[in-house]
Amino acid sequence: MRRTTDRRSLQHLDERLGDHLVVPAEAMGDTIELVIAPASVPAVMRALREDGDLRYELLADICGVDTGLTMQVVYHLWSPLSPDWVRVIADGLSRDDPRVPSITFLWPGAEWGEREAYDMFGIEFEGNRDLRRIYMPPDYLAFPLRKDFALADDASRGPGEGIRHMETPLPPGEVRANPVIRTSAGAGAVLGPDGELLALGAGSIALPEAPDAAEERA
Amino acid sequence: MTSDREQVRSLDDPEIMVQTPATIYDAIPPLTPRTEREAEFYQLEDGEMFLNLGPQHPSTHGVLRVVMKIDGERIVDVDPVLGYLHRGVEKICEYGDWHHAISNTDPLEYAASMFSEALPVLAAEQLLDLEVPRRADYIRVLAWELNRISSHALFIGWLALDLGGLTPILYGFAERDEIVEMLAALTGQKLLFNYMRIGGVNGDLNHEFLSRLGDWMSRAGEHINGQAKLMNENEIFVNRTKGLGVLDRETALGLGMSGPPLRATGVPYDVRRAHPYSVYPELEFDIPTRSDGDSYARYLLHIEEIKQSLRIIDQVLHKMPDGPVMAKLPRLLRIPPNRAFAAIESPRGQYGVYAVSDGSDQPFRFRIHDPSFFNLQAVGSLSEGQVLADIMAIMASLDPIMGGIDK
Repeated sequence: MRRTTDRRSLQHLDERLGDHLVVPAEAMGDTIELVIAPASVPAVMRALREDGDLRYELLADICGVDTGLTMQVVYHLWSPLSPDWVRVIADGLSRDDPRVPSITFLWPGAEWGEREAYDMFGIEFEGNRDLRRIYMPPDYLAFPLRKDFALADDASRGPGEGIRHMETPLPPGEVRANPVIRTSAGAGAVLGPDGELLALGAGSIALPEAPDAAEERA
Repeated sequence: MTSDREQVRSLDDPEIMVQTPATIYDAIPPLTPRTEREAEFYQLEDGEMFLNLGPQHPSTHGVLRVVMKIDGERIVDVDPVLGYLHRGVEKICEYGDWHHAISNTDPLEYAASMFSEALPVLAAEQLLDLEVPRRADYIRVLAWELNRISSHALFIGWLALDLGGLTPILYGFAERDEIVEMLAALTGQKLLFNYMRIGGVNGDLNHEFLSRLGDWMSRAGEHINGQAKLMNENEIFVNRTKGLGVLDRETALGLGMSGPPLRATGVPYDVRRAHPYSVYPELEFDIPTRSDGDSYARYLLHIEEIKQSLRIIDQVLHKMPDGPVMAKLPRLLRIPPNRAFAAIESPRGQYGVYAVSDGSDQPFRFRIHDPSFFNLQAVGSLSEGQVLADIMAIMASLDPIMGGIDK
C-alpha cells in the first residue's frame, strides 16, 4: 500500500523547527525528513517530544550511519497525532572525532541504542552515562560498521578503490564482482596501495605454521 | 595486542597474576571503570555481593549474561551483558545483494522468522516504490499471523516453564508444532522459512497447507481457550505474575519499548494500525490493551492477540484474491540511491529497518531495529528490589529473543 505524507504536518514542522533545519523539511513517501546540525539535536528532539501539538513520544529507532564522508546519527520518531514517521538526521559529524549530544535525558531507553552506535561507529554521545561497547568485547579496538573497516571479502573490490562513497554511485553498466578473493588477514586488515598487507585485522586468525618448520620440530 | 598489557593480581587468589580477567572478581578492581554508570554499579555497599547469571542459563532464552548486585536475596541492580550471539548481520548485509539480505535476516527472530525476513523485502519494495500483487500481500498476512500465533503459544509455555510449571509448554509446543508443519508444507522449512521475496512470496498456497490449515482452524479457538483456562486462574501462576514487573506508560515510552510490554501499559501502539502496511487496513481486528503493566497483563495480552490473529486469518481466507504471487523484477536488483524506513509488527513489537541505497545491487546501510533489544532494557528498572527467583518471571514476560538482540 502506497502512502503519502500529510502536507499540514510537514508545513507545521517546517515552521516550528525552521531555525534548526539545514535544508527545508522534505516529504519522502510516508516519512518527513529533517536534517539538522549535531548541536541542535537536544533542542529539536525536545521540541518534537514535548510540544503539545507534536508529541513525537515514541522513539522508533536510533542509529549511526557512515556515509564515507561524514558520520550521521539518524532518529525515527512516531506521534499518535500523525500517521507519518519523522526522520531526524544529525548530519556532518566528523569521521575522525564524531560527537553528538545524547538524548538519554528525553528517552532513557536511547542509552543502549547510543551504546550500539558507539560500538559500531565510534560516535561519542556526550551526556550518555554508560557509553561502553555493547556487542564487541571491551578490549576491541576497531569500529566494525565504519566504511573503512574492510571485511576480508572486500579484497574483491581492489585495494585502490578505497572507501565506497554514498554520493558517488557505481557508474552505469558497472557491476561489482561477487566476493571471490579471500585473505587470511582477517576483518579490519589494512592494505597498502598495491594490495600488500600493512596490518592484520582485529579478527585475524594466526597463519598456519610452515610445513618444514613443523617437520624440524618433529 | 594483549602481550604488552600489564599483569594484575587476581582477587580470587592473590598469588596468581592474570592478564585477562577470568572471573567477575578479576574484572572489577584491575580495570578502571570506563563509565559513570559502571563505576556506580561495581561499587559494593556493606552486605552486597555480585552474582553472575548466564550466559548459559536455561531461563535466559538464549545466551544473555546478567551481572546482578544482590543484597541477601533482593536484587539491588543488574547489568545485562550482550553480544554472545553477535554476528554482525548489518555488516554482512552490506556485503551481499538485496536478495541475500533475506536469508541473512531470517535467523534474527528465530521463533518467528517470517517477520525478520520481511525486513529487507519491505525496505526494498519501499525504495523501488513497487506494487506487490494483492494475492502475495494476502499470503504474507496469512503467514505472518500464523507465525505470530506459534510464537505467542511458545511464549505462554515459556513463561509458565520459567515459573516452574511444566504442562503449559507441552500445550504450547503442540500448537506450535501444528503451525510449523503447516508452514513447512508451504515453504519447505520449519524454522527459517526464507519465504518472503522482494515483490511477492516464494510459491503459491498448496493443497497440503490449506487442508492442514482448515483442519487446525476448526480446533484452534478451542485450544486457546483451553490454554487460557489452564493458566488464567491457576493460583500459583497468578500470584507469581500479578503485580510483578510493573511498568507505567511514561517509563515504557521513555525506554523505547513496543509490542505487548508497551500495550500492557495502555498505549495502543501497534504498527499494523499506527502505520499500516500490506493489506492490514482492509482487515478488521482490534488492538487489545491493558492498564496494569505487570507480567500478568503481558501474558493476558498474548492470549488476546492470538484470538485477534485467528480473526485475521479467517478474513484472509475468505478474501483471498486470485492472481500472481510475484511481481516481475529483474534478478539483478539495482535500487536507485535513496533511503527508507519500514516497520512491521512482530510478536515482540516494532521491527524496523532503515535502509540506505547507493544505486548498486547491495544495501549501503542496513540498520535493523529489534524490539527485544529495547524491551530488554526494562529489566534493569523492573528487577530492582525484587527477589532473585522473580527475575526469571520478569525476563520471560518481556519475551526477549537473543538472536535479534545480538544481531
